[in-house]
Amino acid sequence: MTTSIAPKADYLKAQDLLGKRLNEKYGTDRKVEFDKLNEPVIWAKSPEDAKMLFRSFMLDESSKMDFLSDITAYDNKDREDGPKRFVLVYQQYSTTLHVRVRIKCLLDENEQALTLTDLFNGANWLEREVFDMFGISFKGHPNMRRILMDERFSGHPLRKEYPIKQREPFKDNIAFHLGANPKEIDTSITESEEK
Amino acid sequence: MAAHVQDPHQLKDFYNPNVLINLGPSHPAMHGTLRVMCRVNGETIEDANCEIGYLHRAIEKLGEEKTYHQWMVYTDRLNYCSALNNNIAYAMAVENVMNISITERCMYIRVMCMELARIIDHIICVAINALDLGAMTVFWLLYHWREEAYTMIESMCGMRLTTTYARIGGMSYDLPDNLRQRMWKFCEELPRALDEVEGLLTSNRIWIDRTRGVGVVSKEDALKYSITGPCLRASGVDHDLRRDRPYYIYPELDFDVVVGSNGDVYDRYLVRLEEMRQSVRILKQVNDKMPNGPLWVNDKRVQIPEKLDVYNKMEVLIHHFKIFMEGIDVPKGEAFTCVEGPNGELGFYIVSRGGPKAWRMRVKSPSFMLFQNFEASVKGGKIPDAVAHLGSVNIIAGELDR
Repeated sequence: MTTSIAPKADYLKAQDLLGKRLNEKYGTDRKVEFDKLNEPVIWAKSPEDAKMLFRSFMLDESSKMDFLSDITAYDNKDREDGPKRFVLVYQQYSTTLHVRVRIKCLLDENEQALTLTDLFNGANWLEREVFDMFGISFKGHPNMRRILMDERFSGHPLRKEYPIKQREPFKDNIAFHLGANPKEIDTSITESEEK
Repeated sequence: MAAHVQDPHQLKDFYNPNVLINLGPSHPAMHGTLRVMCRVNGETIEDANCEIGYLHRAIEKLGEEKTYHQWMVYTDRLNYCSALNNNIAYAMAVENVMNISITERCMYIRVMCMELARIIDHIICVAINALDLGAMTVFWLLYHWREEAYTMIESMCGMRLTTTYARIGGMSYDLPDNLRQRMWKFCEELPRALDEVEGLLTSNRIWIDRTRGVGVVSKEDALKYSITGPCLRASGVDHDLRRDRPYYIYPELDFDVVVGSNGDVYDRYLVRLEEMRQSVRILKQVNDKMPNGPLWVNDKRVQIPEKLDVYNKMEVLIHHFKIFMEGIDVPKGEAFTCVEGPNGELGFYIVSRGGPKAWRMRVKSPSFMLFQNFEASVKGGKIPDAVAHLGSVNIIAGELDR
């Protein structure tokens, strides 16, 4: 196998070891694959299982996956990767061992994933982007709104059935936001002044 | 004042705790099309809400519609300040899915380009940050060298800003003959300009007052918000993909990873300045060691034929058209390839199901994480501090919105 990675990189040993360990520990009832860079990919059984795996990799002393690299998804319309519509992807990284692991989870169109915002603040916008682009919503997310597209936009652009040339122009601007946590207007001051 | 106001509605406005200040999306201090809505109390920002998507051009969707070759030009438009870095990272990602290892000369050229792009990006960040805070001389001093770097890039590939230099399996052109001399001059003289900048800013009373302790991102916050790159290092985390997950020839090169301690604007400035020096160090080594040999990988699937053969040989002409009209056939599989971009970890996650188009093309951009953290860390500061903070994290709108 030839890739861009430097041949004698230090982390490659840790990566092999991690792949073996994951296969032993989680491979009995889950599918464990290796991608083109020989990085382990674990298929979670359900959204709850995906979060459980994420948390256990994070807390596990031997894997030390303490960094969230990315949350994304892809359309599985042709059902090549499994019987459900979407595949949710978590990319985890270890800042000490410098290895990556990918957790994948199959989701149906009306199925909800679990949020990771309680573990990583960085998950907030990433999950909003997945919601915006694919329509996968996250249970327990504090602010499940669209992020890149307009709030009035209909449809989810990265689904395969969304036509690339479809346009949806809006004539006016979106209403003002008071920020994430708007403050109630304190009327007591003005009332006392009025008297 | 308030006692003379007769109209109660006006009084209500006067005591309204929801005083909103809108920063951006088109304002010179907001670097592109960033928009932050701040709720202020006096001059202190109590709450902030970022709105993004003004530069959303459906680049990920286009990645599924265009062939691997055609999409190369879109990578220029991600982080347009360091287009070379995106080109190369993308070419690397496709090569990893195809299991191609490029030639040694190509590796050296690519590392050289990536470091040059890093210098340009850091120049922009430091110069514009200083310009936002009123120090214009730094801008003049550094932009001369940015122009010089762009002229060198122009001599390599014919373009200045949107380069499209890399190709899958090689580079579009070989290096020009006089580049070695030019690069040597650049490496000698840029550090002198950096010394001058350091003399102007590092111990400058006004600069220190405006930047030290401003926009602080703690080590824990930086990790929780998944920040990468110079901003993470300025917060005191020793992490650099060039050293930790080495690609190409980085293990053979001698360079230091720069780590700050406080995570404020001042530390980010120092980290960027020192990283430029380290990049110059790498450029010097690469320039000296640049090997001869073939530029293109010997792989019929991706190798673009020589122009002279295309005009003279029938089979080569067909091959040329096969590559450009149909595209290259990438086997089924996936890979998540990251490089250490100027702003942090730039990743391309490609899911291929065979054929000339990607099934899923994901761009993991560092700016997205930086702006998310900006929303939280700007709270409690003053409005001028927000401008200093935003300039120092160097968020590029093209990469943020994709």
